[in-house]
Amino acid sequence: MTKQQANWSPYDNNGGTCVAIAGADYCVIAADTRMSTGYSILTRDYSKIIQLADKSVMASSGFQADVRALQKVLAARHLIYQHQHNKQMSCPAMAQLLSNTLYFKRFFPYYAFNVLGGLDSEGKGCVFTYDAVGSYERVGYSAQGSGATLITPFLDNQLKSPSPLLLPAKDAVTPLSEIEAIDLVKTCFASATERDIYTGDKVEMLVLNASGIRREFMELRKD
Amino acid sequence: MSIFEYNGSALVAMVGKNCFAIASDRRLGVQLQTIATDFQKIYRIHHKLFIGLAGLATDAQTLYQRLVFRHKLYHLREERDMKPETFASLVSAVLYEKRFGPYFCQPVIAGLGDDDKPFICTMDSIGAKELAKDFVVAGTASESLYGACESMFKPDMEAEELFETISQALISSVDRDCLSGWGGHVYLVTPTEVTERILKGRMD
Amino acid sequence: MMKIDFSGLDPYMPVKGNAEDLDDEILAAPSFKLPVTVDFDGFQKAAVQMVKPAKGTTTLAFIFKDGVMVAADSRASMGGYISSQSVKKIIEINPYMLGTMAGGAADCQFWHRNLGIKCRLHELANKRRISVAGASKLLANILYSYRGMGLSVGTMIAGWDENGPGLYYVDSEGGRLKGTRFSVGSGSPYAYGVLDSGYRFDLSVEEAAELARRAIYHATFRDGASGGVASVYHVGPSGWKKLSGDDVGELHYSYYPVEPTAVEQEMADVPIA
Repeated sequence: MTKQQANWSPYDNNGGTCVAIAGADYCVIAADTRMSTGYSILTRDYSKIIQLADKSVMASSGFQADVRALQKVLAARHLIYQHQHNKQMSCPAMAQLLSNTLYFKRFFPYYAFNVLGGLDSEGKGCVFTYDAVGSYERVGYSAQGSGATLITPFLDNQLKSPSPLLLPAKDAVTPLSEIEAIDLVKTCFASATERDIYTGDKVEMLVLNASGIRREFMELRKD
Repeated sequence: MSIFEYNGSALVAMVGKNCFAIASDRRLGVQLQTIATDFQKIYRIHHKLFIGLAGLATDAQTLYQRLVFRHKLYHLREERDMKPETFASLVSAVLYEKRFGPYFCQPVIAGLGDDDKPFICTMDSIGAKELAKDFVVAGTASESLYGACESMFKPDMEAEELFETISQALISSVDRDCLSGWGGHVYLVTPTEVTERILKGRMD
Repeated sequence: MMKIDFSGLDPYMPVKGNAEDLDDEILAAPSFKLPVTVDFDGFQKAAVQMVKPAKGTTTLAFIFKDGVMVAADSRASMGGYISSQSVKKIIEINPYMLGTMAGGAADCQFWHRNLGIKCRLHELANKRRISVAGASKLLANILYSYRGMGLSVGTMIAGWDENGPGLYYVDSEGGRLKGTRFSVGSGSPYAYGVLDSGYRFDLSVEEAAELARRAIYHATFRDGASGGVASVYHVGPSGWKKLSGDDVGELHYSYYPVEPTAVEQEMADVPIA
């Protein structure tokens, strides 16, 4: 008998783009709502953003089945944390939890590219960006997913914040106001939609600030 | 690694109001090792026509020499310069001659036509032409360039604004690419003059 | 599911409350999920291809008369794309010990975090700080236990302990070397060139810092996968201190404050054979 080989992959790529920008007292987390596989669009209205705690929000692209599994684990871990500590997890704590959760599947990774946005204990905006196996970094802004390579150079150009590694240190906070940041996100997605087939339909934006959380949408090209 | 990414390159051309700009990075590398930081990727065919060649540098130089040869023959026979459209067809034909053993190059052609109408185009390594009204990009930083140009480009820019835009787009794109950068090279062409500028950039 | 040795990851605090009946994926001692496959290597290769973990680095460290100098760039790349210009590749394990990061970013970050915990526990158990030799061996032993499973780590552990300055190189293939001068990563050949030509044991702290910075700068110049910020740390008897962090983009023009020269090659003049 010839050698049988399973020709099945546990992974698929559903595409999608996520962007997050941290400001002095706000954080914008955005993702498009298209979900695709290959050249087909599965749905035009799929939210890639989930609120994990009061002040942390995660947007994920990649393989949405893995993303859902990951969200479920994080939600459960956060519930236990609340029972044990009687408080919501802070955004930097959630960031490390996400890193560890991803790394525990180092040899069978979640095919998920995440950005975590929120407010830290001082109320400052924070963005954490990840690779699929849990290496993470706190940054001023980040783009992940299929349109990341198109969006990131533009964000670099517009937001060019000094590196946190510099000594003497320079202030790395994004100089934009909340309104300007939202406009910038809209521009990014409109541009990425032009060239990336996996990005489009609608962009969903979550804005966190001192007064709470707000959700906005903007229509994108549907072709 | 693809043979197109062996030397590393970034090329972009943009159209403005009765003018155009064509820009490239200056790196010549062998995979991740940087060999030269003053490498020419944009070549001048005649005073209003330029071709940038991204991809494998050795093929780019060979291809360029063949194109110069063909253009000189044309000049002898016709006693005039080629129109950009004609030159694009020539490049396409020269590339297709090697359909089954191609030059590993992606050309970007930019020129001013007879009535000073800007013309830009790119093609794949076997000569499939792609004309554009706004901008064209090529090289290892092409994805970044697409994103940057798509969000920075405006139609009908004047020469100086066009220069600023193409430079910003080029520099911010190559700063996200390992294989291109180390400075930039921009040609700005208006009906009356050609300006050549070297851009300072990150040298990492 | 297969289970592999996860003793390094046991929680140190028992979980409070009656949690046993909750989902074991969440509460049981964390373990690495393995794919159910006969061809683990093939699966790893394919998975790594898909998720493209961040790579590419120049790091260096050397011992001199006043301690250890540690330096690194800050770039992370996935293929040709630069995914970050601000990676912290020098990891502060504790106030007397530093680790450097080359290879898989997640592997390095995670196991250094893990090493930090282990070193602190050693301190609490033995009422004294762990030696650099001990710490590097803890890490080397963990990495050795995962040998062949695709971890990618090339690290230097630098610190100051009871025996003075210490420097070890540890990698995911199981290697652990004691030495006075190391450089790790894709830019290391370039860094070694500068380092070896400028190194003396009796360098002052300022001279050593400048040598380290220059070596990193030259590596970022020649190596496409290195760049960003050149960070320099010094470890002395009173612990580590960050001495500088310079944007390499600006460093180049401070080392070579000349305008870029005009085009030297004019292809049009090349005679056609």
